Amino acid sequence: MTAGPWSGVRVVETSGLTSAYATRMWAALGADVIVAEPTEGHVLRHLPPFAPGGHGTDASLWWAFFGQGKRSVVAPPGSDELARLLATADVVITDVDLDGDADVDGVGGVADGDGVPVPAHDGQVVVAISPFGLTGPRRHWKGSELVAWASAGIGYTLGFPDRPPVCLATPVQFAAHVTSLFAVNAAMLARRGARRTGRGQVVDISMQECCLALAPETGVALYLDDRVHRSRPGNRRAVTRPWGLYPCADGFVSFLIIQPAHWRAMAAWIAEETGMEAVLDEVFLDMHVRWEVSDFIDDCTEQLTGPRTKLDLFIEGQRRGIPTTPVNTVADLRKDPHLRSAGFWRDDEHPVLGTFSSPGAPFRVNHDWWHWASAPSLGQHTDTVLAGV
Amino acid sequence: MGVLDGLSVVELSIAIAAPSCCRALAFHGADVVKIESRTNPDVARLFGSAWAVGVDAALYMDSSPYLPEMSANKRSVGLELKQREARDVALTLLARADVFVTNYSTPAVCGLGLSYDDVAAVNPAIIYVALPGFGSDPSQPYYEFLAWGPNLAPLVGLDELTGYPDQVPAGIATIAPPDYFAGLHAIAAVLTALEHRDQTGQGSYVDIAQFETTVSSLGPLLIDHALTGNVPGRTGSRLSWLAPQGCYRCAGAEQWVAITVADDIGWCAFAGLLGGHAVDERFATLAGRVEHHDEIDALIGEWTSAQSATEVAEQLQGLGVAACEVHDNLGVLHDPQVRDRHWFQLVESKRFPDGDLFSGHPIRLGDQPGRWWRAGPSMGEDTMAVLAGAGLSGAAVEELLRSGASFTDAVPEEKLRRPYIDDPEVLAAVRFPQDAGAA
Repeated sequence: MTAGPWSGVRVVETSGLTSAYATRMWAALGADVIVAEPTEGHVLRHLPPFAPGGHGTDASLWWAFFGQGKRSVVAPPGSDELARLLATADVVITDVDLDGDADVDGVGGVADGDGVPVPAHDGQVVVAISPFGLTGPRRHWKGSELVAWASAGIGYTLGFPDRPPVCLATPVQFAAHVTSLFAVNAAMLARRGARRTGRGQVVDISMQECCLALAPETGVALYLDDRVHRSRPGNRRAVTRPWGLYPCADGFVSFLIIQPAHWRAMAAWIAEETGMEAVLDEVFLDMHVRWEVSDFIDDCTEQLTGPRTKLDLFIEGQRRGIPTTPVNTVADLRKDPHLRSAGFWRDDEHPVLGTFSSPGAPFRVNHDWWHWASAPSLGQHTDTVLAGV
Repeated sequence: MGVLDGLSVVELSIAIAAPSCCRALAFHGADVVKIESRTNPDVARLFGSAWAVGVDAALYMDSSPYLPEMSANKRSVGLELKQREARDVALTLLARADVFVTNYSTPAVCGLGLSYDDVAAVNPAIIYVALPGFGSDPSQPYYEFLAWGPNLAPLVGLDELTGYPDQVPAGIATIAPPDYFAGLHAIAAVLTALEHRDQTGQGSYVDIAQFETTVSSLGPLLIDHALTGNVPGRTGSRLSWLAPQGCYRCAGAEQWVAITVADDIGWCAFAGLLGGHAVDERFATLAGRVEHHDEIDALIGEWTSAQSATEVAEQLQGLGVAACEVHDNLGVLHDPQVRDRHWFQLVESKRFPDGDLFSGHPIRLGDQPGRWWRAGPSMGEDTMAVLAGAGLSGAAVEELLRSGASFTDAVPEEKLRRPYIDDPEVLAAVRFPQDAGAA
């Protein structure tokens, strides 16, 4: 076993969910990610769902996943322990709350008068994650997952017209994970910068901007060009048909038919299975024409999908060269044959929770980069780490 | 100076996943050469501008608003890779490159003679990053399946979890999160592979299956299922660990505000503002607010419906409660942060000499911030410079152009102009090239 490419880089994480996904990845790639925890434990230790039986600060499955490969040191905000720990960090990743009354010691040790963190030494990289950024009139504003999607113009486009806009996959907290990847990529970039200049720097990561980066398909540049007001279209995109979710016998299936060849295969399938030969008309090869007769195309598609299962439609559709996928639940993913066969899962042999199946590496490489460990117990590494700082 | 100045990247891509990765590298200084084809153009060029329908077909390919969103700062080289001579040129470029990023399907990229083995044969130190939907291993079940970003979100479980529990899934019809998520992993992979190369001299072959990468984001839910069999469902915008949270109707047509009350203190302040029935012992605890969420929503909705979304958001933020307008595109353009931080850029390109408007980048390094030096390139705009830089003789380039293996930008003397760039509302929100140095 060799050490990952980032071994030797010490990362101190004082932030919550907005960095957790990507710091887990960074730890598995070799970085020494140390979570500086308050006495009662990191915020993720207190989020449901919990492992059956309850195991105190080890029980949260958010922690069990996002804590993988990290080390835990109890170093509360404002403490001498935290200051000592931060002084040894190559990278500090921190949530910033620019509230004028905030205890700035809690956001990464050293901060200027406005709460903006300052590196503890010249070579240190500080990644400051905030809802709206370190500058601008709303820099003091509080944020959340929902607020991030709303502020980026994406929340407005999610949901059905008869109900309020809705958060993207609320139980997943996806905006936080996107933000975490921008944050860690920024830290990696700043480390390369430090290689050249010998100096670290402060990186300003705004959760609003991280979400704005995902918006182009429904975003401002597109809007200025065509002046189409984009609202909540429900579960089919207002571009062409079939594009979106269609009900089937055991749930929903997704189609995305843009290219003429894909429609040709789709039309042949519909005609074969339903006898609706009208769909074979060449005029429908044009995606704009299909959009104009959306109701007809949707009806044909639903006649095909209605009696079949999502797995049948997925496999047979793909066999026919049609871009289609099932609308999977978590249970479907756990039994998905591709994920099983591709070695996506790894057993986490957790000393407290027992062995459970967990997602492993998010991507593959032809080197021995990935090294995993279970999430640490609260303060598991306090003595070892603090003895060395 | 950009952090990645001197890094040479070759991109062979469509749509979003690979382009979004390379756009980030280009923003921070890398020289990204995007290989483009007229016979098989990037779909990002096919969704042209509404106002440009009817212009010359070649010009139309340069008009898409997606172009700078996906490819600002890149150079474009025209190479029809199905022609042997063009593929040889690509290998010449790759022999000198540090990084190759592609999201062509593995069979497609292998069919072009640009598999990892092909490229490593001419450049063993290459950092080869592939982002196929289902990975590069032909023995896996979905290897040959078609993957498009908007179709992957349903597959990975994000669509099933988006919407209200008493309705069918609302899904994610308007954006493609897995594309960007994979692209973000690709940036990390490139930067990690650079570390690896610095330490060992070795190149890397990175295989990013967009399916697997995005499923990773569901980690806690997947572990919960493994341990308990629990299958999470849609919750609207609600969470079990904080309440209330949701989008509430405000005065005006389709105006909404997003509100998240993170804790008891926040609720106490909010309830004081609402007054009346909101000040209720039953709502004092998280458990109580979760139980009576519908009732609380009605009270909040009654209050918000008489005010503008901005008024509501400002009042709540004044109390330390997270809130923001649910912006439509005009709202984004008028957003005080978007304006003050100059998220949108107006930077020229050869095709748009008066400037093209596009989004900024979220990675803001304090001392080496990155910069935009051009908008999206015309297709084939940099062919001559790229081929000359690769050491091809004038005669060799001439032959490539004559045979159609390569091409340059169509009618370069023709210019386009976005119809909105004189709009004062737009101009007030964007950063101009002359501002960039001051950033």
